[in-house]
Amino acid sequence: MGRVVLVARLAARDLRRRPGEAALLLLAIAAATSTLTLGLVLRGVVSKPYQSTREATAGPDVVVGGIADRAGVKALTGAPGVVAHSGPYPVVAAALAANGHTVVAQTEGRDSAPAAVDQPKPIKGAWVQSGGVVLEAAFAEALGVSPGDRVTMKALDAPRAPGAKPSARTRGPGRSFRVAGVAVTAAAPPYPEPACLANLCQGDADTGLAWLTRADAMSLAADKQDVGYVQNLKLADPSAAPSFAARYNPPPDASPRAGASGPPPTILQPWQDIREASANLVKNQRRALMTGAWLLALLAVASVAVLVGGRMADQIRRVGLIKAVGGTPALVAAVLLAEYVVVALLAAATGLAIGWLTAPLITEASAGLLGSAGARTVTFSTVGIVTGVALAVAVAATSVPAIRAARTSTVLALADAARQPRRTGWLIAISARLPVPLLLASRVAARRPRRIGLAVASIAITVSGIVAALSAHADIADGSNSVRADRLNQVLLALTITLVALAAVNAIFVTWATALDARHASALSRALGATPQQVSAGLSAAQVLPALAGAALGIPGGLALIAAVDPDSTTMPPLWQLLAVVPATVLVVAALTAIPARVSARRPVAEALRSELA
Amino acid sequence: MNANESPLRAEPVLRTRGLAMDYGQGAGRVHALDGIELEVTPGEALAVMGPSGCGKSTLLHVLGGLERPSAGEVWVAGRRIDGLSEKALARLRRRAVGFVFQAFHLMDELTAVENVELPALLAGRSSGAARRRAAELLERVGLAERASHLPSALSGGQRQRVAIARALSNEPLVVLADEPTGNLDSVATLDVLRLLDSLRSAGQTLLIVTHDERVAATADRLITMRDGALVDETRLTRGTSGSLGDLVGLER
Amino acid sequence: MVPDGVGVAVKEPSQGYQLRVVQEVLLALLAAEASHGYQLRARLELALGPLAEALNEGQVYVTLTRLEKAGLVTSRRVGQADRPNRKVYELTALGRARVQAWLDDTSWPKPAPAEFHLKLVAAAAADLGDPVRLVDMQRHALLGELAAAQRAALAEPDHSIAGVLLEGVVLRLQADLRWLEACARYWNTTKGRR
Repeated sequence: MGRVVLVARLAARDLRRRPGEAALLLLAIAAATSTLTLGLVLRGVVSKPYQSTREATAGPDVVVGGIADRAGVKALTGAPGVVAHSGPYPVVAAALAANGHTVVAQTEGRDSAPAAVDQPKPIKGAWVQSGGVVLEAAFAEALGVSPGDRVTMKALDAPRAPGAKPSARTRGPGRSFRVAGVAVTAAAPPYPEPACLANLCQGDADTGLAWLTRADAMSLAADKQDVGYVQNLKLADPSAAPSFAARYNPPPDASPRAGASGPPPTILQPWQDIREASANLVKNQRRALMTGAWLLALLAVASVAVLVGGRMADQIRRVGLIKAVGGTPALVAAVLLAEYVVVALLAAATGLAIGWLTAPLITEASAGLLGSAGARTVTFSTVGIVTGVALAVAVAATSVPAIRAARTSTVLALADAARQPRRTGWLIAISARLPVPLLLASRVAARRPRRIGLAVASIAITVSGIVAALSAHADIADGSNSVRADRLNQVLLALTITLVALAAVNAIFVTWATALDARHASALSRALGATPQQVSAGLSAAQVLPALAGAALGIPGGLALIAAVDPDSTTMPPLWQLLAVVPATVLVVAALTAIPARVSARRPVAEALRSELA
Repeated sequence: MNANESPLRAEPVLRTRGLAMDYGQGAGRVHALDGIELEVTPGEALAVMGPSGCGKSTLLHVLGGLERPSAGEVWVAGRRIDGLSEKALARLRRRAVGFVFQAFHLMDELTAVENVELPALLAGRSSGAARRRAAELLERVGLAERASHLPSALSGGQRQRVAIARALSNEPLVVLADEPTGNLDSVATLDVLRLLDSLRSAGQTLLIVTHDERVAATADRLITMRDGALVDETRLTRGTSGSLGDLVGLER
Repeated sequence: MVPDGVGVAVKEPSQGYQLRVVQEVLLALLAAEASHGYQLRARLELALGPLAEALNEGQVYVTLTRLEKAGLVTSRRVGQADRPNRKVYELTALGRARVQAWLDDTSWPKPAPAEFHLKLVAAAAADLGDPVRLVDMQRHALLGELAAAQRAALAEPDHSIAGVLLEGVVLRLQADLRWLEACARYWNTTKGRR
């Protein structure tokens, strides 16, 4: 017991002596843990609310959609396994104008009497009435309309083939409708997922769902050709919906896009697919967050390793003293590890808290499902995973130096001999031919190759993240769903900023640690005739050159990352963006490191030499 | 500019007028240097002695441009240096002044020859020329066979001799040595003394700060400092006319 | 009382310190084997190395006579072919004992700052002069001697036998100089108190 207390006391005292570093460590690991928490919390955020909505609205097991094919759609009601149905209902694409926005609305014509299958449940106002339109809940929220407001709707051309670009041409005069109510449904994913009823889609465009009376819907359509029909089926065995749909869907290899002449075929959509689609946005956000979390965790390992390495030189003497008074190597390693483990645990707690608090910012996207607002749970498994990751970061970064320190012989430790920098003969020989700042830079770097490696790694990780984000952004921008794009871009931006901020802090710290370490060499160089400008340029170059290498590695790294995370994405970011990342990184690192380098290079030489008696 | 070209009028290599250096504020104000007037002629070996804290190291640092004086003037080879920028002072250290420190201040990860060639490299000379000069200098101080040893493999006396070789790298006008034998045992001290003496014979101007009387005894002139001021000056006669017996005290 | 400090002004005639040393050295040399006078001189010069120049010609013979008188050596005449009879000297038991006693003797010349110290005290007491100035003067003188000894030491090759002797001179002078510094400190503060 006494040992544990001793370890705890030594660890606590050490942490108290260096609060700044402890704070930095906390920051680095907390960034990773918050992101991870967010990602994990988002896991169950959609499935339960969808289930509640399905139950409350008698959600369909299969949605059948066909364009101008009422008969074909209706025919399926007799298929084996079908126990109930509703529809066919007419579906018209319309341009809905409200509050200055104009958005495409997939409009379904319904009866005022409740349907057997898929009866959308109004959460505000009432169901359809003549002259009244009911909007899907998330759609209404995005538009900012409530029951009682007025909107204008104009019919649009229906796309002739699936995947074709939505037509922007409106037909006929617009009609003004009063918003009768706001409802939720399980037959289509909530806004901003495109409201596709089976295959009745407007491509990937920003589309919301709305309901009118049959008569109003038919009157909107200018042309019979523009009207699609949707049918909702209930099966005896809801879990068999995908196989049911597969049985009646056209074979997947029949490529409908190849110069389709006739109307697109009738498509069946099982409810599992709708549930998937409902989770689309959150899924993408979650994927970005998880990727970001791992990148941040790696960056945290690099940051912690730099910090640990920087302190190891001071720790070695302390290690020797502990050993000299009878502590075992195990005790030594335990003290070193204990400090970082404590910080890691704090960071895990901080991350869990931050993740839990910020989750609503993302989950409000699923406002279109019942009971979804505020549906975030931090399960035990989440806590376990986050804590495990935080501890893994701490252990990964500290284990190697801790073990090495514990194995150092007591005599060597007390003599501070472990502070001897490494000698790289070939680098010293080459550096003699370089101009003075580069000579100084390469020799400074050669003294601590591990730290340079970590600096390269952190820049590479950061640039990988940036390139991956740029790729994802290009992919999003490729689609035409602007609202979904916005939401996703927000998450990407937040991740990128966090990554860059941490990398910046890391770069400053590495420069500071290097300058500290090179104090003697810098002062001596100046005593031997190097100007402060040369020394400062050297210290800066010692950071900028690894940054260059890191940026160069980060570009293929980022592309590989995006390929691994999202194999379907084929969009590359614009070449100019990719090419600009490297010089941008170099400039930023140069700017960040210029000040610590300059400050260090201007210290009075005599003082620096006096305090660094070798 | 070599101290060996004897100028017709012996322009002092170093000269100060009213040199003063203060640290601290108010009650804690310390006068490290207090109105120093000094001249060092080319080829002269000057020793500066005094109790610790008397300011002799500070004097050395100011003369070498490592610190800026609070007041007064300093000339090196006729050029005023107390108002120069850091950049110009660095150039001064490259060309006119060589430093030898008590703690040697060699770079631990460089071999002896790599340490010695450093000033030449910093002055912009080619790596080949710098290496050749360094090898010559190591030969001169008698450490040619230790050229590729690291400082950790050298004794204290050898390290200081490497440091002296380094100080000579750019043919300085004056070598400023701050307690060169402070960290050495008596055998190593003798080695370094011998080297300093040979430098003096070769005409190198030396300014040695020391508290070891033996080191001071190798100089031509000895000045004593106390509390930042010069309090004494002695000319040490050259040559020994007596026999060994006279020195030891055995008489005829 | 044989004064054995270095550079002391009042002393007994030259036979004092130096003669005694030569006595012991001769006795030691004779311990190996009996020798002629001239042989002894040659061996003595060899043994003393550079210090041999401190000897003069007749030194050896005078010393041998003294030693014989003191009963530490005996001599006998040996006939030689074409030369006058020469004396061969031999160590007696007493002589042998004396050599052994000398080798075993660990007494060391006492450091003797007393005289200079008294000089300063007297100067101060009788108001004859400033002790600090006297110290400075002495310091200059010693520095000169130290410089000369140091130069001679440096001129010697490594491992020279004279070199280690000179180092002894240098170090003792250095010790004396350090003491002079202490004197200066003391008399400075005393002056300040008056």
